Amino acid sequence: MKSMNETVVRAAGLGITIVYASLIAWLFVRQPATFAEVTGGLSSAVGAYRIDQQAFDDGLQYFRNDQFGEARAAFERADPARRDALTQFYTAYAFYREGWGRFYSDDELYGQGLEAVNRAIALAPGGRLVVQAPGQEIGTADELKAELERGLRVEASDFDPMRVFRPRR
Amino acid sequence: MTAAREAIHLPVLFLTVTLLGGLRPGSAVVLAPPSLFSLVLAVLLVGVLVQSGAFVPLRVMNASRPALANLNGGVLVAALLAASAQVFSLLTPDAGLPRVLFSVYFLVLLINTMAASPDRVRVLRSLAVTFGAAFVLKFIVLDALSDPAGGRLTRLLQVLFEGVTLGALTQDAQHPAAGYVAFAAIVMFLVALSLLPSVARSTRRPDHLRQGYGGPPKLSVKAEGLRLPWA
Repeated sequence: MKSMNETVVRAAGLGITIVYASLIAWLFVRQPATFAEVTGGLSSAVGAYRIDQQAFDDGLQYFRNDQFGEARAAFERADPARRDALTQFYTAYAFYREGWGRFYSDDELYGQGLEAVNRAIALAPGGRLVVQAPGQEIGTADELKAELERGLRVEASDFDPMRVFRPRR
Repeated sequence: MTAAREAIHLPVLFLTVTLLGGLRPGSAVVLAPPSLFSLVLAVLLVGVLVQSGAFVPLRVMNASRPALANLNGGVLVAALLAASAQVFSLLTPDAGLPRVLFSVYFLVLLINTMAASPDRVRVLRSLAVTFGAAFVLKFIVLDALSDPAGGRLTRLLQVLFEGVTLGALTQDAQHPAAGYVAFAAIVMFLVALSLLPSVARSTRRPDHLRQGYGGPPKLSVKAEGLRLPWA
């Protein structure tokens, strides 16, 4: 009986330790910055993570009205754990549109946009994210990433005077 | 040692130290993995613990134990190594001359402890003093020298100090919670070390033998009334 109890304790201990060690390893790999990211990451790992659809719709509405700060706040509320590819795509798109300028682009906003689009690509199945919507010129995460990277690079075409006539996408 | 201590309490304590040791509170919480050098120091520390009898690996892993018990022992050893590495990583400053000095300090101290070959109690005391001193230096002294939120006099002293040391000693300011987290991790680590399966008191060599004087006691047989068959 005593031996049986000891076996149960040892097996339970091994199980607890493995689960705890896996959780710690996951935390070190994922580097969640907030508690919401921890809980969101864990719930998404078991397929239980859902975004706040109302907040996402609000954000999309703000985005289409060129209210980018408000849009990002709503997207942040919709996806506090940053685990939804579509919301991260629109967050990045809001950074892109706000940072876009006829003469120069805002590197800080573009940098944050690049981080968000990288998250979106990492979360999308197979890294492929296609988002078609009316009035939206950038339809994939790859295009958005390329636009943001182009904006962050200094190249000869930046000094082309015709650049001021290019459209915002 | 009970099965619960070996299979649950100690691994959970060491894993918690591993987690807390990597925690760097700030505007964004970062979990820092141990540096390569701290892994080397961790191996040396486990060597010191084994040599002093503070940890006897054979008591948690040997051929006569069941496979499950040996698995528990293996997990305990792995958790001990991970926690040791994180504690060294936690106590070593992040950059500059202090990082080099602390690394050398830990290395020399561990090698010296191995050479001195102290017993379990002395090793545990020595580790408490070493970790305590490193904690005070990193989280109190260096932090005070690098704190940008001080008054004018403090700022002036910092600028002078930075000028004299060519900026080699000052560190990035730490979050106020960092010191408390580090303190909790160190205390937990020392408690866990003291709970490790050690050599039984009766099997330790007496001090006069360990210190090298007197030599082993001579074996003497008094054959009073005893007749040996070959005599």
